[in-house]
Amino acid sequence: YRDLHTFELQAPTRLIEWACGNRVCVAGYGQSDGNEILQLIPPPTLLTKETQGLCPERDFKVECGGFSERPVYSLKYVPDTSLLVTSGPPDSSLQVWQVSVEDSDVIKSVSTLATEDGTGESWAKIATISARAPWVLHGSRLDRVQITEVESRKNVYTSASRGSEELSGLAFLDCNTLLLCCATGRLCLADIRQPQSLVEAVSVPSAPCSEQWCMGTRHGAQGLEPSSQPVARLSSRGLLTLTDLRKTSEFLALAKARVPSPGSGAEFLCVSWAPALEGYLAISGFNGTVHVYDTQSWDSSGREAEPVFVHKGHAFGGAGGSGDVPLVTVHTWHLQKPRTLLSAASDGSLHVWDWVQPCGKC
Amino acid sequence: LGFFAVVCAGAGQDVGRSCILVSIAGKNVMLDCGMHMGYNDDRRFPDFSYITQNGRLTDFLDCVIISHFHLDHCGALPYFSEMVGYDGPIYMTHPTKAICPILLEDYRKITVDKKGETNFFTSQMIKDCMKKVVAVHLHQTVQVDEELEIKAYYAGHVLGAAMFQIKVGCESVVYTGDYNMTPDRHLGAAWIDKCRPDLLITESTYATTIRDSKRCRERDFLKKVHETVERGGKVLIPVFALGRAQELCILLETFWERMNLKAPIYFSTGLTEKANHYYKLFITWTNQKIRKTFVQRNMFEFKHIKAFDRAFADNPGPMVVFATPGMLHAGQSLQIFRKWAGNEKNMVIMPGYCVQGTVGHKILSGQRKLEMEGRQILEVKMQVEYMSFSAHADAKGIMQLIRQAEPRNVLLVHGEAKKMEFLKQKIEQEFHVSCFMPANGETTTIVTNPCIPVDISLGLLKRETAIGPVPDAKKPKLMHGTLLMKDNSFRLVSSEQALKELGLAEHQLRFTCRVHIQDPRKEHETVLRVYNHLKGILKDYSVQHLPDGSITVESILIQATAHSEDQGTKVLLVSWTYQDEELGSYLTSLLKKGLPQSTP
Repeated sequence: YRDLHTFELQAPTRLIEWACGNRVCVAGYGQSDGNEILQLIPPPTLLTKETQGLCPERDFKVECGGFSERPVYSLKYVPDTSLLVTSGPPDSSLQVWQVSVEDSDVIKSVSTLATEDGTGESWAKIATISARAPWVLHGSRLDRVQITEVESRKNVYTSASRGSEELSGLAFLDCNTLLLCCATGRLCLADIRQPQSLVEAVSVPSAPCSEQWCMGTRHGAQGLEPSSQPVARLSSRGLLTLTDLRKTSEFLALAKARVPSPGSGAEFLCVSWAPALEGYLAISGFNGTVHVYDTQSWDSSGREAEPVFVHKGHAFGGAGGSGDVPLVTVHTWHLQKPRTLLSAASDGSLHVWDWVQPCGKC
Repeated sequence: LGFFAVVCAGAGQDVGRSCILVSIAGKNVMLDCGMHMGYNDDRRFPDFSYITQNGRLTDFLDCVIISHFHLDHCGALPYFSEMVGYDGPIYMTHPTKAICPILLEDYRKITVDKKGETNFFTSQMIKDCMKKVVAVHLHQTVQVDEELEIKAYYAGHVLGAAMFQIKVGCESVVYTGDYNMTPDRHLGAAWIDKCRPDLLITESTYATTIRDSKRCRERDFLKKVHETVERGGKVLIPVFALGRAQELCILLETFWERMNLKAPIYFSTGLTEKANHYYKLFITWTNQKIRKTFVQRNMFEFKHIKAFDRAFADNPGPMVVFATPGMLHAGQSLQIFRKWAGNEKNMVIMPGYCVQGTVGHKILSGQRKLEMEGRQILEVKMQVEYMSFSAHADAKGIMQLIRQAEPRNVLLVHGEAKKMEFLKQKIEQEFHVSCFMPANGETTTIVTNPCIPVDISLGLLKRETAIGPVPDAKKPKLMHGTLLMKDNSFRLVSSEQALKELGLAEHQLRFTCRVHIQDPRKEHETVLRVYNHLKGILKDYSVQHLPDGSITVESILIQATAHSEDQGTKVLLVSWTYQDEELGSYLTSLLKKGLPQSTP
C-alpha cells in the first residue's frame, strides 16, 4: 500500500458515486425505514494529487443528507442539474431528489417517477445523461427499459421487447447509444433513434450452474470514442470477458479471476475500469477483498489471471468480531488519482486506498 | 410553565467559547465560562451583560457549573468571578478543580508576562476564584438550595470532564460539555442513565464528521515519528499539559517498547510531574484497562519517557519532546521550536487545533517565514505535520447519548454557524423529540409539561376506585374530588371532608320549573291524571301521590295550581335538587308534551 484510510459509516452502503466538486455520495440499503443518503466531502488527502500522509483534515465531512423510506440500491446524479435519482426495492419506480447545498444541508425528495409494474418486478437499474435534456435511463428488465426526461417526466424512449430477462446494468455510451447488460450475461446495444433494433454482443460462455453477470464500462479519457473502450463483464463464478463494441461477434479477451467458490451470490458483484490507467480494472463482491487486474496481457483463452493487487482491508476490519466476514458491496476508482480506489463493505466500513505497482512496470 | 436557555458564546466561532445560561423553573444556572483564545481584547471573554444589565450577578445566578478544564470552557472564570463579580457557588468535579488553576495560571503567565497584557486576571484572583469552588463526585446528587440539585456524569474526553444534570422539582436539563462516546487508551466513554431530562444540551461541532479510524491515525503518527528519529532528526510535539498528551505518551511508550527503540523521549518538566500525579490521584477517572493494569504497573510511570531539561534541546541526535503549550504561542515549546526549526531533518507534529494568531496556526497554514519578537525572521525548514487526536462525539455518538438519556427536547450547540438541518431532522425523526439549534446569543424557549404531585386522601381513593370498572394498572382512571391548596401542598379530598375542613356548609340547589297544561278540570283531578300518567310511564321509579295533593317522583316534587288568569290552564310546579338534574329535566320535558287525551 502507498496509503490506506479506513472510515466507518453509520450504516453500510452499496453505492459510491462521484459528484461534481469531488463529492462522494453513499446511501443506506437497510430494509427498515430511515435510510440516509449522504453527500460527503472527502478529506483533502484525497483531493490533491500527491499523497500527504499526515494532513490537517483527514476526515470525511457530511455536506448534506436526505432520508429515504426505501432502501437505496442505486443512485445517479443527473449531470448539469442539482438533481439525483435513486432506485430500490420493492418496485422499479425512481425517486428524484434535489441537492441545494447553499440553502440547506438536506437533500429533499422532489418527485417519484412511477413505472408500470408487472408482478415480481425487482428494482430498476439507472443511468443518467444530460445531452438534449436531463434524461434517466432505467428499467429492471430488458423489455421494460425506458428513458424518461427527469424534469418533465415525459417518456422519451421505450425499448423493443426482445426478452424479459432481468437487467444487471445499463449505460449511455453516448447520447444516442445505450448498452444493456442482463443478469444472464446477454449484452445488447440499442440506438434510441431506432427503437426496434437491438444489436447483440457475443454471449458469454454458458455454464453448468447458473451464474449472474454484471458489466463495467469505461468513462473514457477525453477524445476517445466511447465505443472503442472495451466493455467488461464479470460473472459470479469469477469469469471475466472483454468485448470491443466495434467487433461484437468475438471476445477481445477472456480470463478467470481467482475467487472463492461457491461464490456468495451476485448481490454485490462489481467490475469497473480505471479511468486514469489504461487497461486496468477492479472487481469485488465475492468476499471481503477487491482485486485489481491489468488486462493488457489477457488473451481469449480463459486462463486464470493473476491480480496486480488485492485489497484485504475489509476482511480485517473486524470491529464487530462477530465471526461474519464483511462482504465488499461496492468499489470505485478515484477520477484523477490513478491508483486510488474507494471501497465499502457490509459492515459499514469505507476504505480509501492507494496501491503500489509491484516492481516491473509503472 | 416552561424554561429557556440562552447561548451567549458571542462572536468568533473557531474553537468556540462555551458559556450557556439556563433558566429553569425560576433558577438561573451558568454552564461553563470559556475564554476565546484567538482574541487579545475583550472579545475573548463572554458578554456577561446578557445575563443582567444592572443587577448583581450573585443575586441573579444560583450557581455556575464548569464541565472540564479546557480553557475554552473555564478560561474566563476568574475574570467572571473576580473582575465582573460573582460570589455564589461554582461546581466542578474534583480533577477539574485540581487542574483548572494550573492551566489558568499557566495561561495568565504567558498572556501577562510575555505579552504584557493589563486587562487580565491576576494569580490572586485565580486563587480567590477557586475558593468559591465546590467539588463534586460522579453520580452524587448535590443540593444547591432547597429546590435546585445537580449531578455529574462521566463524559470521557479529558480527565475529570463531566456532563451535568440540573434538576428543579420534576424539571431537568442535562448539559454535556464536551464528551466522547468511544473509549480510548486512557479514558472511558461517556455514560448517562435514562434520566429523561426535559432538555439535553449537546455539543454538535463534530456531528458532520466521519472520522478516519484511530488505528490509521495512530499508525501514520508513529510512522512519521519513527522515520524522523531513524534519520537522526528531532520531533517536537507541542501539547497542553493534560489531556491528549497522556494518550500520546502511552502510544509512544508502547511503540518504543515493541520496536525496541533507543532514542530518548522527553516530557517538559513542571507540568509532567503534576500531570502524572493527578492521573495517579484520579485513577478512578481513567479507563477500565488502565485501572486494571495500574495494579501491576503504573501506566503513567513511563520507562522510556523522562523529564526534560532545557539544555537537552541542544543535545545532538534524535529525540522526541513533548512540550507545552500546545499552540506554540509561547513558553518552552516555542523556545524549542525556534532552536529546531532550521533543520529539515526535524519535525513538529501539532496534535490539536490551533487558534488563529498563534505560531501553531501560522505554520499549519503553510507559513514558512515567521516574524518573531525583535523583528527577527525565523525560517522554518523542519517538517510540519498535524494530527488531531481530540475526542469528540460525532453524529453516531450524539444519537447514542440521546438514546441513553431519552430527553424530551434536544438543543444543539455548535462552534460554527452552520446549517444543521440534516442532523436536526435525523434526531427528530428517530426519537420524536423537538430539536433546537439556536445561533449565538439567541434565546430558546422550551415548554415543558411539569407534573404536579397531589396527595389523595385514602377514603376518597377507596370510594372512587369502588365506582365503575375494576381499575387497570395501565389505564388512567378519572376520579372526582375537591382540590385543596395550602402552603405548598396539594391534596385531593372528598367534598364532604373539604367542607368540614374549611368549615363551610354545603349549599343545596333546587330548581323549579313551571309547566302549563290545558285542563279545564279541577286541580285535584289534574293531579290525579298526572299521577296516573307518570305512574304508567315511570314504572322503575317510585311515584307517589301524597295526601296534601302533591306528587313525588323519587325526590322530585310536583304540585298543581290553577292559572291565575285562565281557569282552563293548570300550572304544574316541578321542583328538584341539583343531584336529580337528569331526572328533573326528563320529567319536565315529558310533562311539556302534555297529558294523553284519554285518561281514567
